[in-house]
Amino acid sequence: MLQIKNLKAGIEDNQILKGINLEVKAGEIHAIMGPNGSGKSTLSAVIAGNEDYEVEGGNINFNGKNLLELDPEERANNGVFLSFQYPVEIPGISVSNFIKTSITEKRKAQGLDPIPTKDLLKMMREKMELLSIKQGYLSRNMNEGFSGGEKKRNEIFQMAMLDPKLAILDETDSGLDIDALRIVANGVNKLRSADNATIIITHYQRLLDYIVPDFVHVLYNGRIVKSGGAELAHELEEKGYDWVTNEEDKKWA
Amino acid sequence: MGLIENLKSYSEGVQISDEKKKVFTSFMSKGFPTTKDEEWKYTSLKKIVTKEYTIENTGEIIDSSTVIKYSLGFENRIIFSDGKLIGSPNIKGVSINGFSNFESNTTDSVLQLNKALAQNGFTITVDKNTVLESPIEILFFTNTENNFSQYRNLISVGDNAEVKFVERIQTLNDSTSMVNNFTQIHCAKNTKVEYNKIQNNTPGSRLIDTVNVYQEQDSTCDINTLIFGGSFTRNNLNFEQNGSNCESNMNGVSILNDNQLADNHTFVDHKSAHCRSNEMYKGVYLGNSKGVFNGKIMVRPDAQKIDAFQSNNNLLLSDNSTIDSKPQLEIYADDVKCSHGCTIGQLDEKALFYMRSRGIGIEEAKAVLTYAFASEAIENISVEEVKLLAQKLLAQKLNVDLDFSL
Ligand SMILES: Nc1ncnc2c1ncn2[C@@H]1O[C@H](COP(=O)(O)OP(=O)(O)O)[C@@H](O)[C@H]1O
Ligand SMILES: [Mg+2]
Repeated sequence: MLQIKNLKAGIEDNQILKGINLEVKAGEIHAIMGPNGSGKSTLSAVIAGNEDYEVEGGNINFNGKNLLELDPEERANNGVFLSFQYPVEIPGISVSNFIKTSITEKRKAQGLDPIPTKDLLKMMREKMELLSIKQGYLSRNMNEGFSGGEKKRNEIFQMAMLDPKLAILDETDSGLDIDALRIVANGVNKLRSADNATIIITHYQRLLDYIVPDFVHVLYNGRIVKSGGAELAHELEEKGYDWVTNEEDKKWA
Repeated sequence: MGLIENLKSYSEGVQISDEKKKVFTSFMSKGFPTTKDEEWKYTSLKKIVTKEYTIENTGEIIDSSTVIKYSLGFENRIIFSDGKLIGSPNIKGVSINGFSNFESNTTDSVLQLNKALAQNGFTITVDKNTVLESPIEILFFTNTENNFSQYRNLISVGDNAEVKFVERIQTLNDSTSMVNNFTQIHCAKNTKVEYNKIQNNTPGSRLIDTVNVYQEQDSTCDINTLIFGGSFTRNNLNFEQNGSNCESNMNGVSILNDNQLADNHTFVDHKSAHCRSNEMYKGVYLGNSKGVFNGKIMVRPDAQKIDAFQSNNNLLLSDNSTIDSKPQLEIYADDVKCSHGCTIGQLDEKALFYMRSRGIGIEEAKAVLTYAFASEAIENISVEEVKLLAQKLLAQKLNVDLDFSL
């Protein structure tokens, strides 16, 4: 599904990603871990098409398409979804109208007519139930005055509505208490299928107790420095990041 | 020739009192304001007043389908056709009559003209303690081509009364018409008044609209101005607070394109202590449109403990659109909280990327964000029908497809 080859990207003169290689197949869950400032959010932003970052080399292939040639909206409509580490507040636009607009645009890209309001509402109710989201939430302004946890849940709600092929969850667990974490993890697990894939970005092992990854990668200083199975997350939890980063620092010293 | 000449010959054919004659003479000696006047520096009337207008009018009956088309469907409707009052409701606790003579402040020559020659308008008296659930809707229709009409309206709201208004000025042909509308509102003690102005007239329409509000203690007065249509719109809102614990609120939205011009001039005169004023004006400018905002806040020496908030935020969405924004604060008391801010900006890049990452195309995302920007200023409208209409007109003008039943 996703092949990233030797991806280098940065902002102005500062190279943040220094040659990332990653392959994600349909049905898989990958976890990307690593200390703050490693480049995890940058990687997700580059995949989603954030133009603040300049791609200096390498390529990203997504289901046979060169992702780097597509606009952010085209990537989304091809099935890429990013759950933002810091979701953006948009005063003046309700959650329901925001979602309606994105579903309509996605359908337009597929050559389909807008979904009838009644069906849309029904779908929203189902997904709200899945994520234990309270009534009244739909008419609130997008992320405005939401708590950290509410914002993250809103991201997963959008993911559930858009049904992406590849979901990248950037620190979705931060800001969630244990109950919310369980609900969100449960939602993600229910939405899993053999056709879609998930990349979970986190620097704690906590979320991975609920969503068990097939692969775990450690991103440090713009490179994936270690990869393994689910057990790698436990090992990191026990030994700390120093265990990998010290070795890495020595290598580049 | 031009409007001045039209007015001169009109005045020769009508019977007016000596006092009005004097006011008219004074108007004639000054003429219409020019850009040399500080208050009209950015808004030129020149092109507008050099046109020919018809001042006599027929007051034709408006068919009910036209009324329905422009009405928001309230049961209490006051209807004017070319200045003539052709419909007015019976409401318990409220007396509604046609034009009356009343004293007013006439420093401005446009207001002098109104005082001298206006012969149409309404006079509304709301008895004390009357609380109206449903708003009073006022529809001013212009039928005659190239019509110049003037309205002179008086609203007196008695102690503890609560009343809401929805006003719409509508031209029914595509000629260039002009209206000089003046409304004076007296808010007695502990009253609540909300006045909504829907300014969505035809592309040929010009409007100068002035509202003077006089507030007594514990009164709250809100004026919401929604500018979507018309080629030329000048609004003057003047509030005078004459008692403690008054609140004056103004919200305004202008969404302009082509060669439209909208000028909002506001003035809050804080004459008493322990009062508040809030104003939020949002402008979105496309095409060759032009916006002007001038917000004056005066806090008199004895007016302590005043909270005055003013904001004017603008989006210029084309290379040829302009905005001139000027806050004017004159504060002579020392215990005052006063904040004002004016921004001229582009859309938030982070929000734009967020929307695009959800599959929303860049043009649609921009339109939705623009909608979101402007809609903040209509959130405080308490009349649901007005709010809904404003949302719809906003979406329509920005070409976004939002569902307001959601
Ligand atoms: N928009 C930006 N402007 C400047 N520096 C940035 C920007 N985004 C990221 N960086 C820098 O790139 C590095 C990686 O950041 P980030 O991708 O957010 O890391 P992580 O998500 O792993 O914590 C950090 O040093 C950060 O300061
Ligand atoms: Mg991050």
